Parts: sequence; C-alpha cells; structure tokens
Amino acid sequence: MPFHALTVALALGLASFGGSNESARPSATSTLAAARVEWNARNAEHLLNRAGFGARPAEIEAAVSEGQQAFVDQLLAGFVAEYEPFSVERFERPDRDELAGMDDAERRELVNEVQRHNRRQLAQFAGWWVDRMLESRHPLRERMTLFWHGYFTSSARDVRSSAAMIEQNELFRTKGLGRFGELLSAIVRDPAMLEYLDNNQNRKGNPNENFAREVMELFTLGEGNYTEQDIKEAARALTGWVTRRGEAAYVKGRHDSGKKTILGVTKNFDPDSFLALLLEQPACPQWLAKKLLVHFEGREPSTARVEDYSRFLKSKDYDVSAFLRRLFLDPEFYSAEVVGARIAGPIDYLVGSARRLSVEPPPTLLWLAAGQLGQRLLEPPSVKGWDGGQAWITTSTLMQRGNMAGMLLGVVKLEDVLRPEVLDEEPESDGGGALGPEMGGAGDEDGDDAMRPESKPNAKGDKPTKKKNAPGKAGLNGELGQMSRMLSDGYVPAINLCVRMQRAGAQSDAAIVERLADELLAVGLTPESRAGLVEFLAAERETLGVADGGLLAAGRGAETLLRRLAHLILSLPEAQLS
Amino acid sequence: MNLRPPIAGLSLDRRAFVTGLGALGGLALVSSRAGGAVKLFASELAPSGDAPRVLLLVQLTGGNDGLSTVVPFGDDAYHAARSTLAFAKSDVLPLDDYKGLHGELKGLRKLFDAGRLAIVEGVGYPNPIRSHFKSYEVWHTADPRGRASGEGWIGKLSAAAWRDVSDPNLVVHVGANVPYSLESATHPPAAFVNPASYRWAGEKEDVEAFGKMGETEGAKAESNLDFLRRKVADSQASSQKIRTAVARYRTTTEYPDDPFGGALRDVAALVDGGLGTRVVSVELSGFDTHTNQKARHDALMRQLDRGLSALAADLEKSAAGKQVVGLVFSEFGRRVKENGSRGTDHGVAAPCFVFGSAVKGGLYGKHPSLVDLDAGDVKHTTDFRSVYATLIERWFGVDAAKVLGASYPRLGFLA
Repeated sequence: MPFHALTVALALGLASFGGSNESARPSATSTLAAARVEWNARNAEHLLNRAGFGARPAEIEAAVSEGQQAFVDQLLAGFVAEYEPFSVERFERPDRDELAGMDDAERRELVNEVQRHNRRQLAQFAGWWVDRMLESRHPLRERMTLFWHGYFTSSARDVRSSAAMIEQNELFRTKGLGRFGELLSAIVRDPAMLEYLDNNQNRKGNPNENFAREVMELFTLGEGNYTEQDIKEAARALTGWVTRRGEAAYVKGRHDSGKKTILGVTKNFDPDSFLALLLEQPACPQWLAKKLLVHFEGREPSTARVEDYSRFLKSKDYDVSAFLRRLFLDPEFYSAEVVGARIAGPIDYLVGSARRLSVEPPPTLLWLAAGQLGQRLLEPPSVKGWDGGQAWITTSTLMQRGNMAGMLLGVVKLEDVLRPEVLDEEPESDGGGALGPEMGGAGDEDGDDAMRPESKPNAKGDKPTKKKNAPGKAGLNGELGQMSRMLSDGYVPAINLCVRMQRAGAQSDAAIVERLADELLAVGLTPESRAGLVEFLAAERETLGVADGGLLAAGRGAETLLRRLAHLILSLPEAQLS
Repeated sequence: MNLRPPIAGLSLDRRAFVTGLGALGGLALVSSRAGGAVKLFASELAPSGDAPRVLLLVQLTGGNDGLSTVVPFGDDAYHAARSTLAFAKSDVLPLDDYKGLHGELKGLRKLFDAGRLAIVEGVGYPNPIRSHFKSYEVWHTADPRGRASGEGWIGKLSAAAWRDVSDPNLVVHVGANVPYSLESATHPPAAFVNPASYRWAGEKEDVEAFGKMGETEGAKAESNLDFLRRKVADSQASSQKIRTAVARYRTTTEYPDDPFGGALRDVAALVDGGLGTRVVSVELSGFDTHTNQKARHDALMRQLDRGLSALAADLEKSAAGKQVVGLVFSEFGRRVKENGSRGTDHGVAAPCFVFGSAVKGGLYGKHPSLVDLDAGDVKHTTDFRSVYATLIERWFGVDAAKVLGASYPRLGFLA
C-alpha cells in the first residue's frame, strides 16, 4: 500500500471512533505528524530488532539506504524467499503388529530406540531453526514462526513424534505470514496439536474438552467471551480429527454430527464451520491484534490501539502480512515508548548477542542456553506459551544471561559458574552437595545424551565430567554437560575486538566504551553504566601498564580485556532491552 | 574470607560455645565430614520467638483432582461418576467412614495423625473460572479480577507486614516459574533453580564492576530499565547468601532425588541459614490430567508425599524449622464425572493442605456434596481467602482485610 493510502486508511479508522475516545485523538495527530519522521539508523535498527533477531551495523546501513517503504516490502517478502526445508525422518512408535512376538526386553529396547531417534532429531531441528534465526535472509518468517510457536503451542514433552513437532513448525514457517483463518484451519488438523490437546481422546459420546477450551480461550476469543456450555458443545464439533502414528486422520465415525449450540448459533457444526463462527466474533480480531501488538511492541497496547488494529485486521480478512506492514509503517511503532523498551526474551538476547558480536556458536548450544534462561524452543511451558516481558527476568536468569554471554565471548567457563562454595568451616571442599541438577532457568533435568548432536561425538575434548554428590539429578552429566562439551569441543569466538575498535577509530577508554556499547546494545548507555564501564576499563588498563589511548596496541592482554568489557556490557540492565 | 551468613538469634561465637555444651545439654549434634563444622538442632535453646515465622507455598500446577486426593470412597455418587478412576476403601487411607487420603499419601497421613496436618475441604471461590491461567490469577491475587487488580497477595502481604524490609531474600521462589502471587513493586522475589550456579561469573574485578551496575535506590520500578537495574542489585544482594546457606546445609534427612525434592531441600537450607526469608514458594506441576489420569496422578501423589514428608521431618528438628507453615494448593479441582478418556476435565473446588509444627491438625471445611452439583461441579464450601486470612492474621499478625480487601472467616488450623 502506498503511503497516502495508508494515511487514508488510518484516518478512516480513526474517524469511525466518532471522537468518543479521547485517547485516539493525540495518536491521530502524532500519526500524521510523525509519519514524516526521517528513516534513520535508530528506526531501522529498531525494525530489524523486532522483525528479525538483532541488527549488525552493515544491515542497519543497508536498511537506511533502501528507504522505509522499500525496506518494509523486502522484509515482508524476504531478501531471499526460498529456503531448503529441514529434511524430516519419521520415527514412530511401533504398532501392535510390530511388537507381536517380542519379549518385554526387546519391546522396551525398540521403544527406547524410537525415543532416542526422536530426541536427537528434535535437537538437530532446534539447531537448524536457531541457525535460521542467526543467518536467514528472511528473518521475519523466523520471527513469525517463533510468534506462532508461542501462540499455537505444542510441546515435545507431550508429543511423541518429533516429525509432528517439526511439521507444525514448518506450518508456521510457510503459513505464518498469510491469513490467520488458514492457519487456524490447519491447526485443527495438525498432528502435534491434536495429540498435545488430547483430541485423540475427544470422540462422539465421550467428549474431551481440552482442545475446545484452548481454541476459544487462547487461540481465538479470550476468556470471558464464551460460556462453559459453549465449550462442551464445541468439544463435540471438534470430534473426528485424530493422530495416527504422527499423522492426522479424519475418522468419520468419531465425529459427532448432531446439532450443537455454540455462541447462540445452532447447527451441525464440524471443525471448519466452528472455526468460521469463531472468526466472525468481534473478540477474535481483537484477541489476535492484541497478541501481535504485544509481541512486536513489547508493551500493553491501549484499548484504542487494539480497536484500531483489530478493525484493520478484520477488513483485510485476517491477513497477517497486511497487519505487519501497517505496523512497521506506523510512526507510533517508532515512538520512544516502544523503541528499546522491550525486555528481550532469551532467544532474542542470545541470538541478538551472537549476531551483534559476530560470533558463531553451535546453534544447538544457543537452543540449550535459551532453555536454561527460560525459553526452551519446542517445549513451551504450557499451552499459554511464554509470558514474556518482565517475567523473563528473575534474579537468577538475569545473572545467567551474563554468564551465557561470557561463554560466547570465551571469558567464562561453565566451571566458573558452577564453582563450589568455599566455606571457611570446610577447607577441603569436595563438593559438599553444592551441585544441583541444573543451572538456572527453566530447563529440565533430563540428562539424555541422545540429544547431543551427532556431529559432536564422544571424541577428543570430551572429558568425563566430575560427578559431585548432588541433591537432585546429576549436574554436568545432563544438559550442562552437553553445553560444556560444545564449548570445549572446538568453539572459539573468532572475533577481534581490538581491530574492530581500531577501525572505528575508538582509542581512548571513553571512546572504546561508547563504541563497543553502541555495537552490542539496542539502546544507549545510562550515564551510571557508562561511568562504571569507563572506570572499570581504566583500572584494568592500568594493570596492563598502558596509558589511556594506547590500549589497542597492547596485544593479547588488550583483546582479553575488551572481551571482559563486552561481557560486562552484555550483562548490563540495558543489554536486556531490545 | 568469612562467608558465614548471620544466624538468626545466634552469633557465630555463641554458636560455637553452645556446640561445646551440646553433649551435656541434651542437644542433637551431627558432625559434618570435614569435622570442623557441627550442625546444631537445638530447639530447646532457641525460644520460638527467635526464628522468624515463614510461610511455604506449594503449588500443584495444572488443577489437582481433589476427589482423588481426599477420596469420598463411601459415596455411591462418587463410584457412579468415576467408572475407571474411583478408589475403593481398601485403596485409600481412611480418615472416617466416608473419605480417606489417596493411598500414596502415607507420610501426610502420619502428619495428620500427629496433629500437624490440616485438611481444608471444598476450597474454592464464587463464580469459578475453569481456565488454568485465569483461575491462578484469582488464587494469586485473591481477587476475582486477577492481574487487573494489581500485585499478588504475597506482594500485598509484604507491603503490609514488612514495609521497611528491603532484603531481596525476604520472598524467594525456588524454581523456574515465579508465581504471580509473589508479584510486588516493593518486595520483588529472588528466584533460583540451582543454588550452585546462582551467581554472575567473572574475574574478581569484573564481578565488582557488575555489582555496581544495579540500582538500589528508589522503591518502585517505573520502566523496564528501572526494573532491570533493581534486579541487578537484588541478584547481587541475594545470590551469595543463598549459595552459602545451601552449601553449608547439613541434614540427616534424605530428600527424594527429583527436582521437587531438591527444591524442598533448598527451602530447608534457607530456613536454616537464617536469611530472614519470610515467604518461600515451590511448584510441582503435571496435574492437568485430561487423559489416562490414574497412573500419572498416583505418581504425582507419591512425589508430593515423599517430598513433603521429608521436609516436614527435617523442619521438625530445628527451632527455625518449627516456624514454618506450608500451604498446598491448586488452581482448581476436576469435574466430578470422569471424561471419555479415563481422565478428568477442569472443575472447581478441591482440598488444601496446611502443615507444620505450629499447625493444629484435623479436618476443616466441609466435604462438598457429590449430588448437589452446579453444572457437573461440586460447590465450594470454603472460600480460599479464608485460608489466606487465617495465615495472614494468625501467622503474621497482619490485618487480613488490609491484604485481601475484605474480611473472611478465620479457620482453626492456627491458634
């Protein structure tokens, strides 16, 4: 849509408020006035942070020179639209025929083997996905895949088939920028979803309400926009679709074809006509518009803003691309209340930090690390997905973020994080029960080595980790062990911060702090943080015996010091915003 | 460097002195392997006023099936509604001729017999919500509006009871998902999963520099940046004390080797460490049993029982531990009639447990009728805010109406 058309659409949308809502007025003014605000590095970086996963300096420059309209178009279409899908293998549970004639041990072994294959494939796929976040030429598609993954959640903890989980993710990737109705229709026959929300147990005469409830509560309308009776009836409408060995099947005999009364309408609802009814409800575009606004703006939108975008979404037949295009051209999206004010989720923090640092960690490592920080891709915590915002940050996860950044920079080792306490009453600490099951975030304690990628076998550098007498399950033998192996097994942060600072012309302590922070952060430094960093850098530079301005020529010690500085910068409160 | 945390009511020197007297004074002493440290379980020496009163919240996430927890085996309506899930009298631990505890709750049954477990039946609230998330918001805020009403109920309690305390370890969640009940602008909780890694790692100078990056001034976090600055400060103030308390902790009690058991052991360590923690929270999840409920629910009951029994036995040994009261709750119970897949769908009222040395054990509230139903659900007989009000007033001496916004009848499980 050309610019003038957008303005007209906005004006029409606002006019239909009839001036009844005062809060709409200032936004109308600011919309028109700010629409002419220049397309600069700040705004381009903001768009890249939100539509993708963090911006490198060269990408910001390219976006600015492209111009806003053209760049938004490119973002929506993808700089390279095609991609090679992950090649999925099916490892399904053996059926009765296959198990017949086996003894218990053989059966167990077969089932375990299937499970191992599934876990391994899932870890490989998670790495593949994180790699796309790091490098894809269509970052918005990966962003939307992540959005839908937290919206239409299913978890590999409940879905046995890794192929089903991967195919659901591919559904988000291929349909996530299209019409919501199509996605919704695909989701009620998505194998992973059917299993996750118990539709396999929902059948004529024996309804199971789980799927119906979540479809209405979390996928379309929101709590308060339906009755308990509506759920009971909707459960009947959703009967019929089941999973068979990881694939969807419609079993006519299971479908309850009788009359149902849902939201005041009585007819022989089936899954599709039920969804059509939901899409007609005024609450539906409001629900989706709000979810999208919260995700992309990182704040609670005003009622007027939700109304405005909801009406637009409805008028475009739930076209997600049209919605995003409007948002990315909306001056309010670039206001001070939005830019740099969102708390980055673990994936945003880790992928963004890796991109801004230009380090290349194994993608599976970032997947595991994000899990430790509370965002395990493919295993969302509940059907509601991740809460996001301030809920990402606890006293623990905040420090663990810094630890992960230190590992990416090579200045922190896992052993530093898990160092046993030195107690004055216990000079010879031999563990003392200080090691627990996991490191910090919401990761699980499952120590299945099958999740280790095959590309990193039990080869050199795979030191047996010390097992301490731990309360709970063993520490380094599980996920932390995998992370430790990945870090020690050939990962080197291939960066030279000294050269980067030199090229940027940053020589003095103050200039280095400023430049490095500018490259690594999505927001500016607060005066307090700037002063603290300069003080730190000056003191440590002096221990190297170098004068202010001469650090970059001081060799290895200088590079290590700059990495420690980068570690501090990525641990700042400011670094959690993007 | 001396990493000892302050011990409530006992200076280090006094502690060492007391240890020397121990054998004569009838104290239970347990030596650590290193031999230098001696752990003291000297309840007689520490008047109960010395250690602060603590509330432990145990959340059973997913909607625990109340009828499979306190089982009405003597009710025909129960057997009629639960063709595959019903327990016979011989399966359960009878409390009377009508009902009994789930067969796996053997440790809790012992606590009940010892008078240290209160079972509050039929706990719920008017106009029940069957969404996990919204119902939790009601429980967490003690308000039907949920989050829209403001902070969590522990946040409101903290503001009323400990207004001048700014210690981040005042309220602690052990686990990954901090419940909204702890939400507070003035007393935000500390949280950790594994105390061993609860730190920011780096060179000594780097750690010092990081320590300066937080903001300690200013009570309210207006922006996300303010919020983050405060978290940095809190994490610095919280982490070493917690790590040390857990690393120091020695106990003869064996906790179950699972994450729930590990978290409960950490709870005991915090209480023992004298950190001044007043509210601590843990979670056991997996209760959303829509399909094939029995095996899963049985396992959860076993896990709950083993963990809580260990904790109760451990806390029993110390003066500080006797100052802990635990509340076990879930966002709702399940429907009376089982569904078509040997599971149960979301319901409403269910029992709560309250345990601890200070608790006056027994049965409270009233088992809800299984025939006088509301759209297939039991009607609640006790408002959960009565349970909260009792804890707020009798345990912390705070006017419950100030925290809950209204007055609710107190129950007798605390004197």
